[in-house]
Amino acid sequence: MFRFNKMLNFTEWHPLVAWLIVCVLMLLNADLQATENTTRIKLDQPEQKIYFLTDVVPVLTKLNCNSGGCHGKSTGQNGFKISLLGFDPELDYAAISLEARGRRISPADPDRSLLLSKAIGRVPHGGGKLLKIDSEDYKVLREWIRQGAPGPDPDAPVLLRIDLSPGDQVLKQNSNLKLQVVAHFSDGSQRDVSRQAVYESNYPEVATIDKQGLVTTQSRGGLFAVMARFGDQIAVFQGVVPYNSSEASQHKAYPSPRKLSKIDQHLVAQWKKLGITPSSPADDATFIRRVTLDICGTLPTADEVTAYLSDTSPDKRQRLIDRLLERPEYASYFALKWADILQNRGSGYSTSKQRAGTMLFSAWIRDSLLSNKPYDRFVSEILTATGSQAENPPAIWYRSVRNTSNYVESIAQCFLGVRIQCAQCHHHPAERWSENDYYAFAAIFSRVGRKGGFADAEVPTNEIIYLKNKGDVRNPRTRELMQPRPLGGPDFSISRFDDPRQSLAKWMTSPENPFFARTMVNRMWGHFFGRGIIHPIDDARSTNPPTNPALIEELAHDFSTNGYDVKRLIRVITNSSAYQLSSVPNQTNQEDTQCFARYYPKRLSAEILLDGISQVLDVPTIFPGGPGQFPEGMRAVNLPDENVRLNFLDAFGRPSRTSACECERTDAPALSQALELVNSNEIQRKMTDKNGYVERLGTNTKSHSENVRAIFLRTFSRNPRAAEEKMAVEYLNSEKSRQEGYRSLLWALLATNEFMMNH
Amino acid sequence: MLSVSGTRNSDYDGFSRRNFLHLGAPVLGLGLADLLKIRALAKETVRPKTNKSLIVFWTHGGMSQQDTYDMKPNAPAEYRGMYRPIATSVSDIHVTERFPMQAKVMQHISQVRSVHHENGIHAPSAHWMQTGYFGPTLARNAPQKPSFGSVIARTVGAHAKHMPPYVTIPKSEAFGYQGAVYLGKSYNPFEVGTDPNSKYFKIPNLALPEGLTLKSVESRRELLKKFDTLNRDVDKSGVIEGLDSFKTQALEMVTGERVRKAFDLSSEDTRLRDQYGRHKYGQSALLARRLVEAGSSCVTINTGYWDHHDAIEKGLEEQLPPLDRAIATLIQDLEQRGMLQDVLIFCAGEFGRTPMINGHAGRDHWSNCFTVMFAGGGIEGGRVVGASEKFGGGVVERKTTPMDLLATIYQKLGIPLDTHFNDASGRPTSIIDTGQPIRELS
Repeated sequence: MFRFNKMLNFTEWHPLVAWLIVCVLMLLNADLQATENTTRIKLDQPEQKIYFLTDVVPVLTKLNCNSGGCHGKSTGQNGFKISLLGFDPELDYAAISLEARGRRISPADPDRSLLLSKAIGRVPHGGGKLLKIDSEDYKVLREWIRQGAPGPDPDAPVLLRIDLSPGDQVLKQNSNLKLQVVAHFSDGSQRDVSRQAVYESNYPEVATIDKQGLVTTQSRGGLFAVMARFGDQIAVFQGVVPYNSSEASQHKAYPSPRKLSKIDQHLVAQWKKLGITPSSPADDATFIRRVTLDICGTLPTADEVTAYLSDTSPDKRQRLIDRLLERPEYASYFALKWADILQNRGSGYSTSKQRAGTMLFSAWIRDSLLSNKPYDRFVSEILTATGSQAENPPAIWYRSVRNTSNYVESIAQCFLGVRIQCAQCHHHPAERWSENDYYAFAAIFSRVGRKGGFADAEVPTNEIIYLKNKGDVRNPRTRELMQPRPLGGPDFSISRFDDPRQSLAKWMTSPENPFFARTMVNRMWGHFFGRGIIHPIDDARSTNPPTNPALIEELAHDFSTNGYDVKRLIRVITNSSAYQLSSVPNQTNQEDTQCFARYYPKRLSAEILLDGISQVLDVPTIFPGGPGQFPEGMRAVNLPDENVRLNFLDAFGRPSRTSACECERTDAPALSQALELVNSNEIQRKMTDKNGYVERLGTNTKSHSENVRAIFLRTFSRNPRAAEEKMAVEYLNSEKSRQEGYRSLLWALLATNEFMMNH
Repeated sequence: MLSVSGTRNSDYDGFSRRNFLHLGAPVLGLGLADLLKIRALAKETVRPKTNKSLIVFWTHGGMSQQDTYDMKPNAPAEYRGMYRPIATSVSDIHVTERFPMQAKVMQHISQVRSVHHENGIHAPSAHWMQTGYFGPTLARNAPQKPSFGSVIARTVGAHAKHMPPYVTIPKSEAFGYQGAVYLGKSYNPFEVGTDPNSKYFKIPNLALPEGLTLKSVESRRELLKKFDTLNRDVDKSGVIEGLDSFKTQALEMVTGERVRKAFDLSSEDTRLRDQYGRHKYGQSALLARRLVEAGSSCVTINTGYWDHHDAIEKGLEEQLPPLDRAIATLIQDLEQRGMLQDVLIFCAGEFGRTPMINGHAGRDHWSNCFTVMFAGGGIEGGRVVGASEKFGGGVVERKTTPMDLLATIYQKLGIPLDTHFNDASGRPTSIIDTGQPIRELS
């Protein structure tokens, strides 16, 4: 085994000292070495003091020395380890100035410092040649060493913030914009750090950014954001690249602002900037199918469609939405979504007695939705759940979420829309979250105790959650004892008789909380529009900004000031003009995938598709486990957990509920899905069931035309077009077996995109 | 120049009217005549006439080069590791003592010992090695370029009508970078799903269910064509395009015997199955051979996780012997069937591992210089291309990039290296930009 100290001695003469740095993100060559005249450090004035924190570390960051692939990774690179992206300057300073017997810097003869001779490639360096000897960066490092390589200075001016200019802009396609980054310090000084800052674009298809801060828009429209980072400060530039000139989009096609809700007004404002015209409104048949699927997860029945189409009242869409929200299917559908997010998992507990628990939790979620329990209460009941899981179902959440990282990461991602996983080991590279933030958050749960336990329980799931007297969390690196503190919130001042989880719930659900309402409205928006305003929906970062900030603020404000009423939120979203647009694009919005200028079609999720097929064919699914396990005729959407084997559901992307990320559920097409539809025993069984719809069609006395119209209403929620009816009837007439004819027709319709998509 | 459109949702096979105008702009240096030429070419078939296929052993997580192909027996203990080199069928090539079977067929195997790229994190490195391009960043880790498997699926396609062109065993890996991205979801790999060594191994739904006849499948196919009329323009996500293509493919698959037979390992001689090894690697390699034989053009075997930061010996003891057996038997089997010239074998991961053993008796990530392996497919065997430094740290001879490796693969599969596809921004993007095929392997 090889020890660190030994290695340091060894590297004194060994040629493999060569490999001090290894990997360099991206192309680091010529453009980095180009000197720029933006720096304010006057190197011809030797008295100018070079600060470690704000002058030296940024050079290491810009050159990628401290990146995760090089010396910044947790094990360092060949004996030289500095902190990831320079978030721990004390450690960096020690590594540079003290380790390797001080050979990394040599104030008496700065050019002989390994730090420099490696970087310029005079001494072999695994990371290659990063610097030219006449570059500004070299001069900065050299001058710092010449000044005696002073460490982090408590009296040094502190970096307060960086400003990115110009402000957010509309840019033409194929154009350029140079960004400037100015750092502001506590002594009132300012400095242009455009050259030292690092940049990233979140949408390189729309606009790229180079190392000097030059934005280049591409040959398409869209929204993009560029992150600039200097030290521990981040600033974001948001750009709009119009798809079309404003003349090309017909502004007269926009509905008049008087008729628009506030939500629609925010969208229209953005469409105008982008030069796009929304698609026309969806017709009634499309709308009833869309909204029934989106709210209840079921197809409307033929009768519902017929009644709705013949209704002539102007508020019929609004009334339809109200009716749907009162149906038990609404609760079932959204309970499925929450059971995914809350990881109501049936597998992985090494016992088969867990079904009772998943059923209990699943029923509790469904009841909460059915009674429209305010969202803040719903979440509070989960977070603060105490007592026996058998008696207090939300405590079952603590079954899947069992340790520090589970608590922190699940809650942050579920309810605050923040992916904080990075900060477990180091400062989040694209965010403000530090390890202390992570472990202070973890401290809130340090006194969650468990008694009993499910593995050996007589009564299934009877683990008991209680508040322990003691429980500490320390930052594993600094060993600092952490006080309970929520992300971005204040320290809780509580006695040991108080449950810090209560304080968390209170802080989280207060209307002032910047994340809570926003995360939920974005999640629900993502549900209905197929894409979040922040996307992915649970990845809010300053570097991943909402595509329409005013819109998300509007929705969040409405939600938190109206008692976190989820049904109301759904009404607000589904009654908007935007939600009711057709999915068919026009010339101006066909490339748009970010701004909701039309409805983006979604493939029906696994359970909904299977239930839809069952509904059309009138043959329920038989779930494994025998008739005793689940009620006869139960829909897949009501399955309590994922541990019910059904190839159809897995092929179509059912999640395994191992994380709080909605992204576990996928709609990616795959050959195995097509094989399920074309060729599975389950579909074949539903097609041939003696009590099923196909059998009834085969034996009824109605004309083919009559039947075909009923079939279309049942599957596509619309009447057949004349040509479709003719084709279908012709086919049925040509088929010798009436049953076989209807079977094939139904099969074909169920395999169409029109059936499989909500459009 | 050969150019293929990336999406089907716009005019001119991917060159929308608007892009058309932009492409004419001096920014890209393309004149109208060039553009018309591109468009004309885009409509031609790009399918190269080839019968070549690729089988990949993907060492997800990064296999140690120093404990396998590029040994450093004379290095100090903390570098050279626990294995001794052994002689092979090629006089001056030595490999680890855990590769005795490959040693016997070394005349077919060539190593590139000087692969280098500039990232040390799993995901971006996997993207680099799978696509040839550096891509994902902190701001967005979504895949940005298509994997070589998807490029092969799109250009070469399946050699036989019903076969899936691109298959991953048991599932896709490489941190999500084995997919098609802007080539279209239909060029994503077909995932076998289960370990071929499992006694439950079976591809669901390949056989017609009882009561369903070929004739009714035929009429269903006709009906589907007639009624599947939802406007394709409504979807920009590629879901509909993928569904369309998979439905067609599924209908073809179930109506032919070919696919079912290809996946049926039980029809293989048990002695040969034993020879490949009754483990994940062996049976996967055998399945891969059956699939390319039946017409798949790229089969990637994901060989588990090789990220041996701790206790590397324990990990390698479990993984190297079965890998050795799988690769060596595959080479012999292909040779006996006269297929070795037509099937290229490639073994690589996102990077290698540090030359020096760390404090946890493991090796860390190392992209500075590592080794990949080629065999068959018309490459010259028994060669070592490039060289690492004395103790393995850096390249001393013939730095080779991920894109050079891809260029080598594409060249051997007969794919023109200037093939272009439109990326998500509508820009024609080359499958290879700066890479060169490794001529020493020709």
